[in-house]
Amino acid sequence: MRVTEKMLFNTGQVQTAAARERLEKAMVEVSSGKRITHAADDPAGSGIIITSKISQQRYEAIQQAVGRSADELNTAEGVLGEVSNVMQRGRELAMQLGSAQFSGPDRATSANEVDGLFNTVIGLMNTEVGGRYIFGGTQDDAPPFQADGTYVGDAGIRQVEIAPGVLEPVSLRADIALKGVGGGVDVTQVLRDFAIALRNNDVVGVQNALDGFDKSLNQVSGARKDAGASLNILQTSDQVSRLSRDQMKIQVANVAETDLPEAASKMALANTALEAALAATASSFKMSLIDKL
Amino acid sequence: MADLLAILSQGANGLAAHRAAAQTAAHNIQNVNTDGFSRQRVELEAMPAEYLRTNAYAGMGVTIGGITQSRDAFLERQIPSSMAANAQYSAESQSLRAVVALNPEAPGGLSDSLGNFYSDLRLLGQFPSQPGLRAAVVGSARNLAYSFNRTSEGIANARAGIDARVQSNVEEANALGERVALLNAQIVKSRSTGGEPNDLIDERRNASDRLSQLIGATPVPDADGNINMALPGGAVFVSGQKAAKLSTAPDPANAGFSLVQITKVGSLTPESISSASLGGEVRGFIDARDVTLKQTMDSLDTLAFDFANVLNAQHQAGFDLNGNAGEPMFNVGATSTGAASTISVNTNLITDNKLLATSSSVAGVPGDSGNALAMIATERTPLSGGNNSASTLAGIISAFGSRTREAGARSEQEGAIASNLQGLRESVSGVSIDEEMINMTKAQRAFDAVSKVIQTADSMLDTLMNLR
Repeated sequence: MRVTEKMLFNTGQVQTAAARERLEKAMVEVSSGKRITHAADDPAGSGIIITSKISQQRYEAIQQAVGRSADELNTAEGVLGEVSNVMQRGRELAMQLGSAQFSGPDRATSANEVDGLFNTVIGLMNTEVGGRYIFGGTQDDAPPFQADGTYVGDAGIRQVEIAPGVLEPVSLRADIALKGVGGGVDVTQVLRDFAIALRNNDVVGVQNALDGFDKSLNQVSGARKDAGASLNILQTSDQVSRLSRDQMKIQVANVAETDLPEAASKMALANTALEAALAATASSFKMSLIDKL
Repeated sequence: MADLLAILSQGANGLAAHRAAAQTAAHNIQNVNTDGFSRQRVELEAMPAEYLRTNAYAGMGVTIGGITQSRDAFLERQIPSSMAANAQYSAESQSLRAVVALNPEAPGGLSDSLGNFYSDLRLLGQFPSQPGLRAAVVGSARNLAYSFNRTSEGIANARAGIDARVQSNVEEANALGERVALLNAQIVKSRSTGGEPNDLIDERRNASDRLSQLIGATPVPDADGNINMALPGGAVFVSGQKAAKLSTAPDPANAGFSLVQITKVGSLTPESISSASLGGEVRGFIDARDVTLKQTMDSLDTLAFDFANVLNAQHQAGFDLNGNAGEPMFNVGATSTGAASTISVNTNLITDNKLLATSSSVAGVPGDSGNALAMIATERTPLSGGNNSASTLAGIISAFGSRTREAGARSEQEGAIASNLQGLRESVSGVSIDEEMINMTKAQRAFDAVSKVIQTADSMLDTLMNLR
């Protein structure tokens, strides 16, 4: 085969350009850490990146929403714990003041403390987290308990997505926990009736209040258990979401990000190839009859 | 005496022949880098011998039989179609590679916006009456609509850029068609006077090669020495010494992009010509513009349309903070055509985010998030293609990448074939400086020798003239 000067120059040009292109590509891969810069670099991988990144964002959002719900539920559980303490104090007073050794004025004075306990319960049940009244059901923009103990919230249960498409109730029904809807006792009424019995020096009424306090304590305790159970579910969801998010991150990294040792090795190889191409090209240019004549 | 004068005369012819050989070698060397140049060689022939007597013929020296080109017709017939295929896939691949709007890792791209929209909706679902979260959802909805618009605009700009290249290719093809027709005329005329216009032939081959690259036209020689150029669909672009005219006209059925037309030789009426009847770069550009990018654009429009309708239907099923039924969240046309470029968020929601219908009942306002949760669930709703929005988007990106990669692979394959054939042609027709230096030295030596012959004959004549 005849080899002409143009062939030599063309070969030199094409080979060095190709070697430079390979080196430049390897350098971009190493410096950016990205294996895919255009969908054509890996069409199937590009699709995986899209769905995995959206999944990653999904699990992050689920984790955040679950975290916020858990904060609210924790607060609600804590508030009910305080309500239990208040009712426990009421029970102690009922035990003491039901005794014959206390006089009417003693009872009337204690009625003031019970009024305070009542107000404390109302205040606790109007707890707000981040601008939301957590015991109001879906009516969460205003205090759910009025000063007289009337509940103006509703029976709505808030839900949160704990996994894609899976919803979990994350609010406690104050109408059940405090007001005894569905067969329970009205905790606020127990306190009010107790205070009235004390003011009226109604010893039997005071003694009967014990039963109301016991039922109230059981009722509030049941609500706290429900909150605890929901919190466990949210905690599990948080861990699973975190794990799923991390898996999606790894999946994106596996597809989109370059394997640095491998990329560095490819870059070194491309560099050597370029040096070889330049040396071969320069050498082929030197051999000419023109220099010999 | 007469024989000696004949030697002088032959010497003159010999000098002329070897000078022509040296000149040709010099011409070859000077054109060593000229594209399409085929090396030329002087064909030296011995002059017919002179009859002296029985069984005795005296040689009459050397003459130029002709100056020919070194060409391989077998190779040259294969090259135009190979160049056309390479140019076609290369143009398509490069055009698609230049589209960055669909990069899967583009920050703030469509996938990020879609993911963010549903993420913000999830946070709103947890606390639907929170004004900051409502504002965030409206903001991410606007950003998603903007991402659709921007991606669509990126594809539309790429199509417009490709369209401009189609138009410039058509103009270049017309100029080359005229050039080939003119060169046909000049070559036929030169041949009629007995000469072989090698350099005109090279120029015509250059023009026809470029036409092959531009529009896929292949040369078809005729008996008169013309090169006719035929398009892949059979239409004749250059017929003898006349060329057809390509033109472009806006195609209303294709968003006003250029439709290629041909006004055939002898006709005044342009006829539309399908891309399948073209080749080369123009075909590659049209395929990128009207096949891959159009399909991608249509798929994106369908995604925007379906997504907006699914979201709107769910949003309208809910109730806003005022207790009113939800309005459509996104503005999108009645059909999917152009949906990605026009999709926007309902301005009423932008003005007042209380209009976000997060509650599933009037009684549940403001804290009920039933409808917000239902809107989140639309993330899994199959759209018209059978997949949900994220999978549909992934499919669009993958399909685009796949078609770009396919064009690139074909470009590489055809490029290798074309390069190999061009290398073989260069091997036959190209200029080797070493070879030409030797040829030149060979001609110089012969020239020197013939000069000596003349000198010797002159000396012999002197001897004769000085005889007393």
